[in-house]
Amino acid sequence: MHEYSVVSELVSALLPKLEPHPGHVVDVMLVKGELRILSDEALRNAYELLIEGTRLEGSKLVIEPVTVRVRCRSCGYVGPAEHVREEAFHFAVPILSCPACGAEVDIEAGRELYVDRVTMKTEAPADVP
Amino acid sequence: MHDVRLSGEDILKRQLELADANRRRLAEKAVRGISVLGAIGSGKTMLIERMIDRLSAQGLTIGTIAADSAGDDDHRRFVARGARSVNLNTQDDCHLDAHRVEHALDDLPLDDLDVLFVENVGNLICPADFPLGVDREMVVISVTEGDDMVRKHPKIFAQTDVMVVNKLDLADAVGVDPQRIVADFEQINPHGKVVLSDARHERGIDDLLLALGFECTSTPS
Repeated sequence: MHEYSVVSELVSALLPKLEPHPGHVVDVMLVKGELRILSDEALRNAYELLIEGTRLEGSKLVIEPVTVRVRCRSCGYVGPAEHVREEAFHFAVPILSCPACGAEVDIEAGRELYVDRVTMKTEAPADVP
Repeated sequence: MHDVRLSGEDILKRQLELADANRRRLAEKAVRGISVLGAIGSGKTMLIERMIDRLSAQGLTIGTIAADSAGDDDHRRFVARGARSVNLNTQDDCHLDAHRVEHALDDLPLDDLDVLFVENVGNLICPADFPLGVDREMVVISVTEGDDMVRKHPKIFAQTDVMVVNKLDLADAVGVDPQRIVADFEQINPHGKVVLSDARHERGIDDLLLALGFECTSTPS
């Protein structure tokens, strides 16, 4: 439900940043941490709707997932979090706890939500005879 | 084809900055902020009412932000308990955000407050992505919603400080085993605290206050 407002922020922030760059926008890569509660499908649908009539029209939203990485407050482990993979949950759910010693952790990665890059196509300059 | 690299600025950067500003503002005034999330009809408002009673009995002054898509029913209940309250209608928005909370803080007597409860719109998905700038967060569900609520909404439970399972008095009537809910929660959030409550009959309220970091509690007279 809130994907629409997230994509609206994305589009309005992105358009002025692209002004200095000539060319046709092919795709926009959105980096999304797995702790964000945002549906990929809803993000893409909202993107398609919100770019109509803008310079982004016709481009694709490519979503790059980032899995959770944690830093242990006790043993110093830094690395991927474990996931609950039980069938009852249907999806892998990250566990915010140290996989090595079970202590509390700080989140190093997994809450990202930013546009990393935009792929552009520019017309090749005509060959000078 | 070529790539334009961008700065990697968070799309919700403005919300994150506003949440930080809210956090600093509450800290400067020594107001402890508690975010209350949860399902529709899970008992968020009554749990807050019970906590207002107990904390007021300790001499603390309580503020509330009562968010709902429409109406002021919860706000009026908080005012009747002696809280300094702001009613906040989100209209068609499914969640609170830091910007709305910032404006609500403008309307609260922060110099006088010790504790601020921010009751979000009933929703177990959208509010989780919008930090508000408070110290602690609790997520409320009730047994009447079934024993599968954690499995259906794992991400909000995986990241919260406290899960409250309310309406414990109705567990037998609806055939739900609260321990099943607790087991699911402990699996995905091993450091989160669990409180079993029956707000209507005043059970579990002191446990909840302890879980939220209040050091001593008292029963209202």
